[in-house]
Amino acid sequence: MNLVIIGLNHCSAPVAVRERVAFPRAQLGAATCELLGAAPVTEVAILSTCNRVEIYALAADACQAALALRRYLHSYHKLTEPIDAHLYERHNRDCIAHLLNVVCGLDSMVLGETEILGQVKDAYAAAQTAGATGAALNRLFQKAFAAAKHIRSTTAITRGSTSVANVAVELAEKIFRDLTQSTVMVIGTGAMSEATAKALRSRGAGSILVCGRDRERSGALAGQLGGRAIHYDDWPVEFPKVDIVISATASPHPIVTREKLIPLMKERHQRPLFLIDIGVPRDIETACDELENVYVYNMDDMQQIAKENLAAREREITICRELIAERVARLAEWLEERYK
Amino acid sequence: MTDRYFLWMAFVFYVGASALTLWRLRSERSQSSLHHINVILIVVGFLMQLVGLILRGQNLHRCPLTNPFEVTVFIVWALVLFYLVIGPSYRVSFLGAFTAPVVTLILLTGLLTASDTPHAPVLKHSPWVEFHAGIGILACGAFALAFIVAAMDLVQNRQLKSHHPSPTFRLLPAVEQLGVIGVRLLMLGFILLTVGMIGGVISDKLVEAWPWQKVAWAWTTWWVYAALLAARTIGNWRGQKASVATMAAFIFLLTAYWGTSWLAR
Repeated sequence: MNLVIIGLNHCSAPVAVRERVAFPRAQLGAATCELLGAAPVTEVAILSTCNRVEIYALAADACQAALALRRYLHSYHKLTEPIDAHLYERHNRDCIAHLLNVVCGLDSMVLGETEILGQVKDAYAAAQTAGATGAALNRLFQKAFAAAKHIRSTTAITRGSTSVANVAVELAEKIFRDLTQSTVMVIGTGAMSEATAKALRSRGAGSILVCGRDRERSGALAGQLGGRAIHYDDWPVEFPKVDIVISATASPHPIVTREKLIPLMKERHQRPLFLIDIGVPRDIETACDELENVYVYNMDDMQQIAKENLAAREREITICRELIAERVARLAEWLEERYK
Repeated sequence: MTDRYFLWMAFVFYVGASALTLWRLRSERSQSSLHHINVILIVVGFLMQLVGLILRGQNLHRCPLTNPFEVTVFIVWALVLFYLVIGPSYRVSFLGAFTAPVVTLILLTGLLTASDTPHAPVLKHSPWVEFHAGIGILACGAFALAFIVAAMDLVQNRQLKSHHPSPTFRLLPAVEQLGVIGVRLLMLGFILLTVGMIGGVISDKLVEAWPWQKVAWAWTTWWVYAALLAARTIGNWRGQKASVATMAAFIFLLTAYWGTSWLAR
């Protein structure tokens, strides 16, 4: 018996192809059952995320099974054009190594991201519920989950945020005791400020105020974030109650200055204030950072941190690959022993 | 086995916890298993120290606070006691890691340099004197932990202000949380200090007059901490200024104690 995988991911196929072969989550179980009948495989599991679609299977003849899986992908999605050029295929030891790389986030678009582990767990659960897994896939997936857990805790592959929005969240969590008690103010609407506010909201930020010259736009963003829209001229009134400010206006001069902040900090009893300056030219005067309990970060600062975090993750790849190689060898040995 | 044997054993466990801290900082790891090993090493050290103090107390037939060596060992013990109580309640990551090196350093200083010559205590044996001294030392333990929390706050604040935080910044708690814990420890220490001072005033009246140097040290310390607490609560002192002041207050407490102990002899 042989392990086989066919699939495509963000490296092998553009999004236009990936979206055509993606399996809706609700249909994963049914598709898995259908595959058992349609292809010469004894065990099967389908992984489908926004960045990859992969079919893992156990079959007596790996090549024949891979061919049947390719045909199934075409027929299930009623594809009019061939996608073979985008598909990759791995057998046995390479198949095991591939899954371990995937669950550890080494094969992800954002190196070391952890969401993939949950997605693989969901795929495995769907296949297991459909009765499509047996001794081989059960062992393969369980060992892969254990490997991911071990690698995440012993290496720095998942450490530090690699996007500007998440860097802002990470910094906020090191300033404030409890983000749920914090108030965020977004001054000026834009893609970056929206992403940062959303990231803070997803980590539990208490309340969000959106303030912009375009009332309709600020109202829409406030609605999306579950916050409140205020008029641009009112931001100084609300400012003393705010803990985190995301500023992204088109103002040619700084809108927050050291002189304005000094009395405001007194009014807020010197509670910490986190100012995120996304505006170009900058909205927050550099001198504000000299004030005690005021933390000013601009785009360059946060991009630099994200870059350093990514570089740190890349330095961990070799260690991860060594840890994976040991596990791949053990699993491959077990597979050969069991199915010889 | 003598009390010193157990105190050296305690020192060895604290060294182990400190070494682990350095390794964690170097490797930037924060696994819970390492944190648990750190806590276990500190707990064992604490128990060894307790046995050492009990043995010494049995030999002296009184609370072992008769010379600078015993006072130093007692302060370290009180500091670890507060760490073991405060650490789990606030779930402060890396508090143990910062506590271990401080404890190791103070205990080593005590073991190697503090005077441990048996001599007649400065004051007569009385429950009021022991109450005053015991509670006063507990207050020092709380102030010592406030010193450690202030040091963590200072490090974290500098990391955030640098705009290029090192990986250590991920291991430390939020500056706001450290500020809150620092103020609570100062309050607790100040209450204990005040209660201990009341015990001292009573013993001064009922048992025997205290040497003027000790009285001056106690009152100056009380005023320093009263001013610090007022600044951090009513005056809204936060951040770097508050951390530096908290650390300076504890350094003053220790140095003034050594100075007055020397003068009182």
